[in-house]
Amino acid sequence: MSLGPIDYVVLALYFAFVLGIGFLMRRKVETSADFLTSHRSVPVWITSLAFIAANLGAQEVVGMCASGAKYGWMTAHFYWVGAVPAMLFIGVFMMPFYYGSKARSVPEYLRMRFDEKTRALNAASFAIMTVFSSGISMYALGKLFQLVLGWDFTASVMLSAAIVLVYTFLGGLTSAIYNEVLQFFLIVLGFAPLSILAVMKAGGWSGLQARLAPEMTHMWRYVGHASENPMGVEAFGLVAGLGFVLSFGYWCTDFLVVQRAMAADSMSAARRTPLVAAFPKMIMPFIVILPGLAALALGQMNSGYSFPLKEGGGGPDYDLALTTLMAKFYPSGMLGVGLTALMASFMSGMAGNVTAFNTVFTYDLYQSYIRRGAPDSHYLKIARLTTVGGVALSIATAYLARLFNNIMDLLQLVFSFVNAPLFATFLLGMFWKRTTGHGAFSGLLAGTTAAAVTHGLTVAEGKGGWILPVHTFPSTMAQNFWMAIFAWSICFVVTIVVSLMTPAKPEAELRGLVYGLTDVPNDALEPWYRRPLVLAAIVGVALLILNAVFW
Amino acid sequence: MTDLRIPIALFFGIVGVLLLTVTGNHAPLTEQPVNLYTGVSMLLFAGVMAWLARRRS
Repeated sequence: MSLGPIDYVVLALYFAFVLGIGFLMRRKVETSADFLTSHRSVPVWITSLAFIAANLGAQEVVGMCASGAKYGWMTAHFYWVGAVPAMLFIGVFMMPFYYGSKARSVPEYLRMRFDEKTRALNAASFAIMTVFSSGISMYALGKLFQLVLGWDFTASVMLSAAIVLVYTFLGGLTSAIYNEVLQFFLIVLGFAPLSILAVMKAGGWSGLQARLAPEMTHMWRYVGHASENPMGVEAFGLVAGLGFVLSFGYWCTDFLVVQRAMAADSMSAARRTPLVAAFPKMIMPFIVILPGLAALALGQMNSGYSFPLKEGGGGPDYDLALTTLMAKFYPSGMLGVGLTALMASFMSGMAGNVTAFNTVFTYDLYQSYIRRGAPDSHYLKIARLTTVGGVALSIATAYLARLFNNIMDLLQLVFSFVNAPLFATFLLGMFWKRTTGHGAFSGLLAGTTAAAVTHGLTVAEGKGGWILPVHTFPSTMAQNFWMAIFAWSICFVVTIVVSLMTPAKPEAELRGLVYGLTDVPNDALEPWYRRPLVLAAIVGVALLILNAVFW
Repeated sequence: MTDLRIPIALFFGIVGVLLLTVTGNHAPLTEQPVNLYTGVSMLLFAGVMAWLARRRS
């Protein structure tokens, strides 16, 4: 793929704008709260788009297109089952506790609700995870641009890292959030035309259905048994594993996304943030997954498009589906917009991780364990230094991933062990006042261990089984879903048992943190479009219709 | 706080105009004037953003 001068102009313009927004936001930063939490001042439409844009990283755009080609329309489960219901839940039920508690981060909420050790466990694992996620995203960017455009790996990594560093260093969270909105629109306007053009060329939805195997164009029809669908998952594993444990665990507890809602300018806006975000989230499969299906269909037609293959004849290279389509359907000009959108997706994911990392490090690790009671200017300085450190660590991780890919796989696996049980801790902590700090901490450790043991006892596509392989899953996806189910269940049970054996916190200390001891905001006087329950009902109905149409 | 819709309108307005200057470029697999359609769409989007920002102020 070769770019023309106009394509470079679009890319340069984008860089100028994101940096410009950083400089504009710099004037707003006077305290550590301005830098790390936006001082709870951001309008709801901005926090809503940032809420999904922070998740629109490289894995989302390139990976979902690849999954569309590999698994078909079932990939939409990651949105319509594996994201939107959880977004409704956090908006309606959980946000009053996060926002009302005045916690500055998710780990800080855990300290207020439980105790110091539960916060420390969550903060430390989250800080490490965000740095590695950012680094892996950077590595993916460098590798993709090297492969597609022939750009130097180091140049791509350094350029994107430098730009993210400058605008997050200058304007902190507000700058990252504002840029995420620009990046969101760029991603939508940069990829939607590709989806339309590729699907039109493949004969529309009916053309896709005619050319692809039936299980590639349905969501639910072939999930009765794992062997009937390309994902190798059955309905229960899909709904309980993806739709409940993993989805709620990510969207309701991961500070990377929750931070965007917590930056909203009021409790009402914070609650509406994930609900408003659910509307565009519902349409994302048509933009990021559909091109993957179209690429597969076009590869089977005499269309002039050949599905990319791995070097050395190793089968289809799904990760290149998006960029090869762009090369065929975008002329110079729009090609620049598409590649800029790709760059934007990498940068929004990276900036999201960096801003979540600096908040958790500054407030939950540095201020809590290294230096308490310092003046605010000191914490602002530390937050800025942490931003530099976070980006530097991300770059180091990108190179580590390049040198030792297996280590990165291992680390991602370990993080999945840590993440899997987390939602059980929050669910019990927010809705059962009897839950104790010892219960939460033991539950998290037991759940993480259960995830590791499940992985060690099962095998899928040659992965796992390092203790004793006693069961084989048809796919790693099924293995991940079931690992999450076991981890969540063990955490849930152990937390309850240990909580019943240990003394609970006095109710006075739990006000504003637990259901039944927190004033639920009364929105009866608000217009209908501002009421969380009404918004959630509209999204819920739309979701049912989409699932029925693409059954 | 700065109205974000203004820089967004400006960015997509400029990109839209840039695309309209290269409407003669064609992609290998489509005869559609992609740059023309997307350029016009971006200008419309920029116009809506600018109108919303102006309405607020």
